[in-house]
Amino acid sequence: MKGLLKNNLYATLSNAKVFSCFMLLFGLFAVALISQSLQIGYVMIGIIGFSVNAIAVAKNEFRSKWGKYKLTLPVKRAAIVKSLFFNQLIWLLAGPLFAGIELGLSCLFHGCSFDQRIDILSLFALGISMSLFMSAIFFPLFYAGGEERSEVFLIISLLCAFAIDFAMISAINQLLEPGIASIIAGAVILLASSLLAFALSYPLAVCIFRRKEY
Amino acid sequence: MENILELQQVSKTFSRSDFTLDKISFSLPYGAIGGFVGENGAGKTTTIGCILNTIHKDSGTIKLFGREMQDADTDIREKIGVVYDGDNFPGFWTAKRLSQVMEGIYTQWDDGLFQKYLADFHLPPRQKIKDYSKGMTMKLAIAAALSHHPQLLILDEATSGLDPVMRDEMLDVFLEFVQEEDHSILLSSHITSDLEKIADYITFIHNGKLIMTVSKNDLVYNYAVMRCKESQFLALDPSDMIAFRKRDFQIDVLVSDGKKAQRKYKDVVVDHVSVDEIMLLLIKGERV
Repeated sequence: MKGLLKNNLYATLSNAKVFSCFMLLFGLFAVALISQSLQIGYVMIGIIGFSVNAIAVAKNEFRSKWGKYKLTLPVKRAAIVKSLFFNQLIWLLAGPLFAGIELGLSCLFHGCSFDQRIDILSLFALGISMSLFMSAIFFPLFYAGGEERSEVFLIISLLCAFAIDFAMISAINQLLEPGIASIIAGAVILLASSLLAFALSYPLAVCIFRRKEY
Repeated sequence: MENILELQQVSKTFSRSDFTLDKISFSLPYGAIGGFVGENGAGKTTTIGCILNTIHKDSGTIKLFGREMQDADTDIREKIGVVYDGDNFPGFWTAKRLSQVMEGIYTQWDDGLFQKYLADFHLPPRQKIKDYSKGMTMKLAIAAALSHHPQLLILDEATSGLDPVMRDEMLDVFLEFVQEEDHSILLSSHITSDLEKIADYITFIHNGKLIMTVSKNDLVYNYAVMRCKESQFLALDPSDMIAFRKRDFQIDVLVSDGKKAQRKYKDVVVDHVSVDEIMLLLIKGERV
């Protein structure tokens, strides 16, 4: 498992370095300007962007015979899938870290640009939830449909995650009275449901991967 | 003699391509090198896929070290080294990074041994694998396959991209590997000269069917090809023939006992036969 995690980490790292440079420059820009929409964009791009980067690892495995070679190593297929899910969780920390630093600096220099500080919690919850839903949808699709369709599966996963989250937000807004309690409840619901989907996606992906032939 | 690898009636059908691996049975004893020969698409890689569980067989049994290997049997895979043709590892890695990953996967990974192979094979450890030549990537894959002290090496067309000098170097490495009596190699190749040099047994496969398994000693000392004229061919006893192939002015007949054939058919020329020629006779000729 340690070797598989290292493999995933190395595979994500080179793209993540480039993306981090972009986030750094974008962050400087976002800190310099006083714009709520820019900050919302920064948080969402940061959190989802690092997750998309991490997902690309699965696809890259099959550019060489490494994806097939891995099956001959002394690891179970479930461990291969588990390492990819862990990799997602590891890189899910990078986005909020960048976003947190940017929002902190922006608050420090210009004050909070959001109406209520609690809105920041919603924003982070939405970004994390979308990343988790995207991963939860992508991996079973990837194993079922094959690595050659990974780009379209990534687009589908991202759009589905977007649709699920916004459908849930609409439902929460209709069902709950507006206020701080509903914002917190909404964030908790988004995070809990996406975590549940992520957790359920793992056994499904393992089940599909066990049947696959390479 | 005990077998490190045993296949019994292994079958696999791919409905989309209509290809069937049909009841393949052969075994590889401890301390031996088994050659697996067949034309492209004959079923060599499918058989190896079934052995390594990258492909799920429909029926039959495959025993490695006396056991059927399931996904959970990581202890069996600890004892197997695999080399595929082409890029076995991601191109953005270096040999150093490969070692770091393998160290976390194999309990018996020997970085010292890996470094020794890198030095012996003149592979720069810090150069990206994508910048290696084809020969270098194959050498790296062989180094990686050997560096966790496996007992069984499975090589799928591992020498096919190498020039004759490099192939010869690698064959020496394989021969050194089987000096240990509990080490074996299954080497699939369509470069039959390699198998003639090092294999103890050669298994022929064609269109998903096993044609025959023959020991190299048998092949060198007993198998032969008779060069017959039409009239001589008609006089042959079919039970003496394995396969025949009609050429422009002669008919080549493969026999399993050249000396017996020479005694029985005194006027027929009997030649030694190479693996290449056997393959052509079995695949392009007619089997009796």
